[in-house]
Amino acid sequence: MADDTSMVRGRSSPKPVAPNPDHWWSTLREIGSIRVIWVDLTPHGSREASAFSWLDESEQDRWRRFQHPGPRRRFALCRPALRSLLCSYLQCTNEQLAFDSTRYGKPFAVVDSEKAPVSFNVSHSGSHGLIAYAPKGRLGVDVEEQLAGRDTELLIDTVYGPTEQADLALLHGCHKTRLFYKLWTIKEALIKAVGVGFSCDVSQFEIPRALRGGTARDFVFPQVPTERWQVQYLGNREFAGAIAYEAGCEAGF
Amino acid sequence: MPSTAERVQRLVVENLEIDGNPISEPVDMNSSLVDLGLSSMDAVAFTRLIQTEFNIKFTPDHCGQLANLSALVEFLDSNGG
Repeated sequence: MADDTSMVRGRSSPKPVAPNPDHWWSTLREIGSIRVIWVDLTPHGSREASAFSWLDESEQDRWRRFQHPGPRRRFALCRPALRSLLCSYLQCTNEQLAFDSTRYGKPFAVVDSEKAPVSFNVSHSGSHGLIAYAPKGRLGVDVEEQLAGRDTELLIDTVYGPTEQADLALLHGCHKTRLFYKLWTIKEALIKAVGVGFSCDVSQFEIPRALRGGTARDFVFPQVPTERWQVQYLGNREFAGAIAYEAGCEAGF
Repeated sequence: MPSTAERVQRLVVENLEIDGNPISEPVDMNSSLVDLGLSSMDAVAFTRLIQTEFNIKFTPDHCGQLANLSALVEFLDSNGG
């Protein structure tokens, strides 16, 4: 259970309830008021059984519609982690918390039928989930398990710009795989932060080399130069991951 | 000549995997890509395959707006795919 009561805003009761004291998530990074949580999505029968009871009726229906065990497990473990974190942050019960989504499918939290004062974003892949949340501001997160055997050629000219494609063409093997996934997660985190998803042609903007290398964090979409974004790469040996957030989001504006 | 539905099913079965496992036939055409468990990366790749197979402008946004594979077949049939 997330127990950071210092981040509680406003609501005083009732107390949140954890799905299971043996929770399966931990803080990966704190960036000012933004928290990034890593969620362990490896198969775990008792966790999944416990977590399922935390899903509301529509979520349980969604769980049933998944046709394969991997996606079903990822949803069953990640959504209750999100519920627990948000209940703790918003000081509400699991029953009070619901989710709705924008026309582009970006979810937002609702408590007692009112949009809740929290921004969050979720991603999962393979055995890894990432949840980022903050008091306000737009943010997006993406995680991808790095699969060396995946045929990435089909995607390279679909999602990458000319400089990115040229840089990828110079690399081979694991180096190429790492850059492919790093670029992907940064781009997806950015478009999720904006809230438009893949309705945006991601080959129309490029991730500068300094940002990929971690020596810079600022990003501006060439099409929208008035909006400033910050990006941090979160990847490690097991997964590629990135967070993007509206500049000022980390300070709560 | 295979039907649009058969061509879509073939693309799914021959190209898509969930956690390294191929999607087996028969594919439930009432499934959405989300129900199948496709990642965003899979969805973008699938979009590209649809473009190539049907020689049609088809974007990930189209993909997200279609409720299920049957709706995709209807979209392709009505857009000259």
